[in-house]
Amino acid sequence: MVYNIYMPLDRPVPLSAKPSNLEQFKIASRKKNWLLSNGLSRYAGSIALVISATMISELFGHEISPANLVMVYLLAVVLAAVYLGRGPSVLASISGVLAFDYFFVSPRFSFSVADTEYLLTFSGLLIVGWVISYLTIRAREQADAAQRRETDTAMLYALSRDLAAADGLDDVLSVIRRHTEQSFAHEATIFVANEKTQELEATPNDPQTTSQLHSALESEAAASAFKTREPAGLGTNNVPTVEFLYLPLTTARKTVGVLGIKPEEPEDHFEPDQRRLLDAFASQSAQAIERMQLAEQARQVKLLKIAEKLQNALINSISHDLRTPLVSITGALTAIEHNEGLDEAAKRSLIETAREEADRLNQLVGNLLDMTRLESGALQVKRELCDPQDLVGAALGQIENRLVERPVSVNIDPGIPLVPMDFVLIAHVLSNLLDNALKYSPAKSPIEIQARLEKNELQISIIDHGIGIPAQDFNRVFDKFFRVQRPKQAPGTGLGLAISKGIIEAHGGKIWAGASTGGGAVITFSIPLEMPK
Amino acid sequence: MMEALTRILIVDDERSIRRFLSVSLGNQYAVVEAANGEEALQAAVTEHPDLVILDLGLPDMDGAEVTRRLREWTKIPIIIVSVREREEDKIAALDAGADDYLTKPFGIGELMARIRVALRRSDQVENNPIFELEGLTIDMARRIVSIRNEAITLTPTEYEILRILAQYSGRVMTHHQLLRQVWGESYENELHLLRVNISNLRRKIELDASRPQYILTEPGVGYRLKSL
Repeated sequence: MVYNIYMPLDRPVPLSAKPSNLEQFKIASRKKNWLLSNGLSRYAGSIALVISATMISELFGHEISPANLVMVYLLAVVLAAVYLGRGPSVLASISGVLAFDYFFVSPRFSFSVADTEYLLTFSGLLIVGWVISYLTIRAREQADAAQRRETDTAMLYALSRDLAAADGLDDVLSVIRRHTEQSFAHEATIFVANEKTQELEATPNDPQTTSQLHSALESEAAASAFKTREPAGLGTNNVPTVEFLYLPLTTARKTVGVLGIKPEEPEDHFEPDQRRLLDAFASQSAQAIERMQLAEQARQVKLLKIAEKLQNALINSISHDLRTPLVSITGALTAIEHNEGLDEAAKRSLIETAREEADRLNQLVGNLLDMTRLESGALQVKRELCDPQDLVGAALGQIENRLVERPVSVNIDPGIPLVPMDFVLIAHVLSNLLDNALKYSPAKSPIEIQARLEKNELQISIIDHGIGIPAQDFNRVFDKFFRVQRPKQAPGTGLGLAISKGIIEAHGGKIWAGASTGGGAVITFSIPLEMPK
Repeated sequence: MMEALTRILIVDDERSIRRFLSVSLGNQYAVVEAANGEEALQAAVTEHPDLVILDLGLPDMDGAEVTRRLREWTKIPIIIVSVREREEDKIAALDAGADDYLTKPFGIGELMARIRVALRRSDQVENNPIFELEGLTIDMARRIVSIRNEAITLTPTEYEILRILAQYSGRVMTHHQLLRQVWGESYENELHLLRVNISNLRRKIELDASRPQYILTEPGVGYRLKSL
């Protein structure tokens, strides 16, 4: 017995398994596999077998007694039973008896029989022929049924295996569609019920479902199958004048959707054993869809919890970060207000503290506004052709007063064209990154800015020679409120890099962290040269 | 005799900000206060200020509107101070005729510097053909530009940009203003023309084009020639 297992084409296919082998079990060829497909020609074949038997008997008949020639006819009956089916084999046994009588039993060339003993031979031939053909055909039918069951099992197994490996609802739907089409039908479609509205919805990536939903009759049939939990459409009593047969996808809990199957030929109906297989398909599909929906619900709940936790952390962090500078400012001002005895140096120091803290507060408020704009989608990227050198100059200008005694080297590859970007936002990113580089590297250590063309993008790197970023934090530094844990914490909001990332991604670019030779940090971002559509 | 003090009109609806400004500016200038647009327009006529410090978010009308109304009859310098940091707001105010824009919060030193630049410009005699700034000399009569005593060759467009920036030195010229004055009305949106020419101009006059000392970029708004 050949054991065919369907293998999806995008996975490695063992040499023994040919994906196309299942094709022969599609509807049209699923009827028994007789040698000749047409009924009439099978009967003609059985007559031809009897004629051949007669000719062989004629050839050797002179040496053998007529009673033994019966064997030749029996052989013809057996062959007809094996290869042509029940009717032709019965025809072969009757016509065999007649031919034997006519050609070989004396008087020859007449149907009359001189020796009545031959009547016994005739009935023997007839009965043995029938018994043989009955037994042969039953054996054959059982073999066919066994093979079909095996194929069915293989198809179901292939379906369930691919369903188990599927990732996400879309993947599950495309697996179901592909397997159903390969095993049964010309076209298969799936409608999944919206969990909230309980309305059937078109499957994304499947234009067929959309057009079907627009056809009044098809969508009525599909909806009816969904509502009644009974098959509807082609070949049923419920809206039969459509192209598809619709099966409800039902699990123990509920109906998750409808599977639509369109046979290759409209007049092809599904036979009972195929319907059983289809039901098994539908039941597996329904379970797979439900599993995905439950997994999605669980994921949503988890996401919601994470969001909630994040929001709490955010509020705590913001209220802390907003209050801290205010504490210093209020403290410094009240100290000056009430302490007449303060000397000039002490006053100056208090004022300086208050001023620095006010700057910090202003920066934090600016960052929070930026973050809010980014997250609410209010940030609009206005792409214009910009000169990267102008950009670097503007960013350096924004932090000019902090660059005292800092060697800054700028390397801009010659031949960089104007690049489409939002000048203000990218200058903001650059000054954010420069600000970080200043904060996390020792005074007077050099800072380097590099701009170069890399394939279809502009890449700008900011390189410092400070403490660097631990390799395990390369990705996390871009998370909101993430700050590298350090014994002596530099003041900051933990928002600068997150904002930069948001801005760069809004440009279709990327931003990443690395280490510079000698242990500092390198932050690089890229901007595509082509204006995204 | 002492010269009459320069008069500054402070327009802001926040009492604390008016107070902080009058106290800080009071020992150098004569200060007049207005709390809304109507009062400001009134005071501009009756008090004869030499300069206006104007907030954008006034209760009765927008600061840009006040600027437009003032510009209908006077050229006195107007410095906008506002918490709005969107470039559109800056551009709108500058295009309406404001001389400068300062984002709140700002240090008083920064404001004093801007006031000095604006006042100097309004005092300037227009017919001085030679402009000089830290090694950059523009002889407008002979159309000669020299940098550190060396004459350089500029294209007519580059010269025109530099001349306009010098004429308004210290003041931000918006992209639109520059494009309109150099190329004409219909080129108002051809920003890349300006960018390319500024880039070339910097290569010719700046020591390091990545850290310009003369032509400064105001991101998203325009360019400014450093003031004296």
